Amino acid sequence: MTTDINALGLACPQPLLKTKQAVDQLHPPRLTVRVDNEAAVENVSRFLKTRGYEPTASGQGDDFTITAIEISDHGQGTEKSMKAESAAALPGDDTAEIHQKILVFIANDRMGSGDDDLGRKLMISFIKTLGEMGDDLWRLVFVNNGVKLTITGSPVLETLQEYDRQGVSILVCGTCLSHFDLLKEKQVGDTTNMLDIVTSLQLAQKVIHP
Amino acid sequence: MGTADDAGVYQVSPDLALIQTVDFFTPIVDDPYDFGCIAATNALSDVYAMGGVPKTAMNLVAFPLGTMDIKVLRDILAGGLHILEKAGTVLLGGHSIEDDELKYGLSVTGFVHPDKILANQGLLPGDHLILTKPLGTGIMNTAVKAGLASAGQIRAVTKLMKTLNRDAAEVMTGFPISACTDVTGFGLLGHLAEMIAGTRVGVTVFSDRVPLISGAMEFAGMGLVPGGAFRNRKFRENMVSSHSRISPVLRDLLFDPQTSGGLLMGCPENHSQQLLNALHRQGISDATVIGQATDVQPGVMTIV
Repeated sequence: MTTDINALGLACPQPLLKTKQAVDQLHPPRLTVRVDNEAAVENVSRFLKTRGYEPTASGQGDDFTITAIEISDHGQGTEKSMKAESAAALPGDDTAEIHQKILVFIANDRMGSGDDDLGRKLMISFIKTLGEMGDDLWRLVFVNNGVKLTITGSPVLETLQEYDRQGVSILVCGTCLSHFDLLKEKQVGDTTNMLDIVTSLQLAQKVIHP
Repeated sequence: MGTADDAGVYQVSPDLALIQTVDFFTPIVDDPYDFGCIAATNALSDVYAMGGVPKTAMNLVAFPLGTMDIKVLRDILAGGLHILEKAGTVLLGGHSIEDDELKYGLSVTGFVHPDKILANQGLLPGDHLILTKPLGTGIMNTAVKAGLASAGQIRAVTKLMKTLNRDAAEVMTGFPISACTDVTGFGLLGHLAEMIAGTRVGVTVFSDRVPLISGAMEFAGMGLVPGGAFRNRKFRENMVSSHSRISPVLRDLLFDPQTSGGLLMGCPENHSQQLLNALHRQGISDATVIGQATDVQPGVMTIV
């Protein structure tokens, strides 16, 4: 059965949305989409590839037809998403089912209040022990004074670099680094922004705030 | 004074030149106040890109009086005024007409010392290119139109478009800037093409260092690329030499038309780290060296 979509005369992103709607609802094994400009040809073709279709385009001028055949049942196609966040967010992601996703949110370079020297020692010990979580440890986020743990001379720098090598994602707040003028000193992790931090908190299954 | 540039320049005296620019468009966000802010930020940007300080502005309004609540217009103008105040620019007046489609923008006049004008051409081989805002507003706005962007993503891209290039421009005054432009409708590579077209320099673009708006890559991969990006690419295709590992998605992002984009500035390599540090200290944390001018292939943008 073929689903035919006529998207002539529609402005972007409408042709893509009509196609998306048809794919989401009907899941047709074969479909054709008629569009009137090359931008829509590229956009619709790209979308269909991500949904496991093989599109071919024909036509010229202001009348093009994209013919697509489904080649795989899985939604995730050739253009793998670049961001770990969205990869982790995909429903049915195998790794997410096996391991928990624990995010540790570190907003200071010491733990608790009372005695700062003790607090610093506790934080060093805490970070060095985090590895015991194994593959459940998903991401470390450093903000405010916490970013000082990621810079040259940090007593836990080697530990964090080891976590980084093991695949734990480490995000360091860019606003905080620039506030302390430490952008050049950071030695581990990716500099990040509040949107990524908030998205991370949303995606995590468990958030620990020492 | 003749420059084919971001804005018109007129020399008044040996130590004063006027910069004049005008820009207006149809709404790109739902919130009228935000739209006003973005339109003003965008209009002021051309003056900053020329090395000037915006002094006065006039509103341009086309409004469907019969069908739209006048409160919408009031909010748009309030947004515009808010940004003008932040920029230290005085609103002198404006002009409005009745129209079927809402449009808003401003004409802005700025001052600059004639010796301090920053043109978009002037790059020398070896110069580093620094970009001050991440790319992807065109793609994100398409995703917003498609109803696929999250509330957080909408807020983030709105904030980005409302961020004045004032601080970046101020930082530039302390450095030997060889050329500057603001990244808008032609996209990064479109504006870069203007910087080198007909000159004796080419540029290498470090594609993995170009800052991108979080989410833009995913939406581009889904096919939410605005038509303008394709037109930009078609127009400048012959100036681009792209390594085969550069994905078509990233290439489209490099041509994505920007609304109120960042400044793209060139400076000698031995000053670029200091310039970058100064920008970061000003809170412009996205500022990144994204390319380098070369004399190997004049007029060519090599994407690596």
